[in-house]
Amino acid sequence: MDYRPPPPPSGRAGLQPGFGLPEDLLSHLPNRELTYNGYTGTWSKLDHPVSLCSTPPPGFTFQKSKSAADSCNQPGAVISRIEDVFEAMTDCIIGEKNELVIQLKSRSRTKPQADDSGATAAKKQSNLELRAITFPSRSPQEAWKFTALLRILELCHEALVTGTVTTKRDIYYRDPELFMKQAVVDRYVNDLAYTLGVQRDALNVVAAAKGLVVGPFTITKNDNSVVDYGLEHEVRLFPVPLTIDYGLMGSGCATFRTLAASEYWMRSITGPGIIITAKGYPDIQTRQFLHLLFIQKLDIPIYALVDFDPDGIGIMSTYKHGSMALAHESANLSTPSIKWLGVRSSDFLQTSSDVQGLLKLSARDRRVATKMLEKGIFKEDGSEVEWRRELQVMLMLNVKAEIQILGNAEKLGEWLDRNLLEGSRSI
Amino acid sequence: MPSVILDFYPTKPQTTFPHPFAEAHSKLTDRFVGTSGDYAHITDIFSIATTPTQILSASGGSCIKVHSTASPDIPLEQTIKGAHKLGCHHIVTSRNGRVAASAGFGGEVKIWHISEETSQWAEAGKIVDQNKAGEVWAIALSEDGQFLASTTYDGRINVWDLAGGKIREYETKGSFGLCIDISRDGKYTASGHENGGVYIFNNDMGKLLYSLPGLVKPVRTIAFSPAGTRLAAAGDARVIALYDVSHGEQVANLTGHTAWIFSVDWSDTGEYLLSGSFDGKAKVWSIDRRACVANHSETDKALWCVKWLPKTGRSEMFATAGANQSISFYREATGG
Repeated sequence: MDYRPPPPPSGRAGLQPGFGLPEDLLSHLPNRELTYNGYTGTWSKLDHPVSLCSTPPPGFTFQKSKSAADSCNQPGAVISRIEDVFEAMTDCIIGEKNELVIQLKSRSRTKPQADDSGATAAKKQSNLELRAITFPSRSPQEAWKFTALLRILELCHEALVTGTVTTKRDIYYRDPELFMKQAVVDRYVNDLAYTLGVQRDALNVVAAAKGLVVGPFTITKNDNSVVDYGLEHEVRLFPVPLTIDYGLMGSGCATFRTLAASEYWMRSITGPGIIITAKGYPDIQTRQFLHLLFIQKLDIPIYALVDFDPDGIGIMSTYKHGSMALAHESANLSTPSIKWLGVRSSDFLQTSSDVQGLLKLSARDRRVATKMLEKGIFKEDGSEVEWRRELQVMLMLNVKAEIQILGNAEKLGEWLDRNLLEGSRSI
Repeated sequence: MPSVILDFYPTKPQTTFPHPFAEAHSKLTDRFVGTSGDYAHITDIFSIATTPTQILSASGGSCIKVHSTASPDIPLEQTIKGAHKLGCHHIVTSRNGRVAASAGFGGEVKIWHISEETSQWAEAGKIVDQNKAGEVWAIALSEDGQFLASTTYDGRINVWDLAGGKIREYETKGSFGLCIDISRDGKYTASGHENGGVYIFNNDMGKLLYSLPGLVKPVRTIAFSPAGTRLAAAGDARVIALYDVSHGEQVANLTGHTAWIFSVDWSDTGEYLLSGSFDGKAKVWSIDRRACVANHSETDKALWCVKWLPKTGRSEMFATAGANQSISFYREATGG
């Protein structure tokens, strides 16, 4: 098939290919679908988009420390608190009052000194500002502040109501002209959370996602707009008609950058693919993204390339089956179709020459591996026979190896070609 | 010049017994097997041990299997279910065949006794020493099964009187003890370590006898000769080092393996040494000639354990087991 080569790197200095998974892209999953159409060359919305919001209770991922009852009720409570604010304003408008007010509790900018506890407490009190932000106001500054706060409230409300998670960065990019800079959003989100008496997480706002992704795909929003992440998020877009032949998730950031820099995802022998990393144990957004890929594009095989150590297998397990802690809530975040590409013990022990880069297991590694062997999927009658075997072999040999043991960019590419080809045959 | 050239060949054209051995540790299916729970997923056989009439095998599964070597079709005699939930990495027997010990991935060590009436093995106790995972790793039993020696992750060597308790505790340089053996007379304990170190301890005096010039790379298997005069050690260095126990000097290097060596075992007479490596190769070495006299490569999967069977008939037999999930038997070709 004929496809355009990736466009040359952008002229902006320091811009690397790829990156920046989806803070924006993932934060409103129900509104967006990952789409491609390799045959007609068009990118379109799916006819039957699978919505994530129908299943998880809003904010379900952020209530770990609270009781189950709390976690069910809190989003509702926060929503109603936000709506109270809106309602108060509506009342103001209906009552034809002259001004709208947001009572904002703001925390001190200066950190209290820890040396004198009594004075610190007093200082804390005095630093706690309770300010009324009114609109209209004679100060244009205050008018702007009011608008920004209202916009943030609205976006939080949207996130809560749709049961999605947004990031501070996402909020900023929803209205960069209004917010002027990221720091404004960061501060106001925190202030609003403080005012409402909840954690920031309870507003369904998280810090920026840590996942990275590269590959020929676009995200189409509900309103049919295609956001140019290439400019703003360092995610290069390739509105090129391509079929995505595989997804590859790796555990290492370094490996991801190696593969992205060499544009392996375009040159792979098995065709173009998407490469994803969460730089270690995946966060919820990265898992959601992979899950989205899985439920919308069942025909795309998804492979895991992780270190040969207990954490590597743990990371793969988190993607595939969900986190151990939230196993019962993982159905909407897991990607059960994941296949293990490597690294296995046979990848580095079948050579007769000495392999460089083998490491000893630490005492912690051995503890982690043993603990894993006790858990469901790793048990004798569990679903992951091979994982159990490789964990046992790891303990037998007392060695571990990082992905880098497979080689540098070129050798890694060859290894991937070989193994992806094998993988695609076995399907 | 040697007048007889020995040749070892598989007891059957195929190396593995198709049945019932294949059933014993072979992969049944890739799914759950029934609800009876007698076999779950069957994985690598990590360790085998012999008695005059039986072969015991331990695998990544939770059960220990016991097969009879007394009859030619090697039938399964007993399955010890749920012996080690997380799998079992070492199993050893006393030379008299009465006591067995097994070490599991969970860090637990179990002692087994065989009933003389029923010929069935039953659990007779556990070694408890605040065992954490990896705390007890390799194990060895003395000839009469009274003493058990073990290594730890942090390089300690412990010797236990199974009737009493811990009787010896040796310190080494803190490197993971990957393998251990006790001499037949019970006089010596030897350990091989991840840093390549090899130590011989005098059990009577309770002290380190020799710290041997090691192999630099991890030593994964160690074995005293039947007479207790020689010690063989091998591992990632891919050579087998022979040491003289009386003065601690290395007397030979057996080279030929091209992959990590996981297991060595002396024949009953001490004439031959058997070795198995990660690439599935099993070799028989003549100690007199310092040379490899038989080479088997019926599998390319790792051989975790190789063992001679106690000599019962005219010819020697040995067994190999590993990642191919079955036990293979070989018989010496005599009269050549």
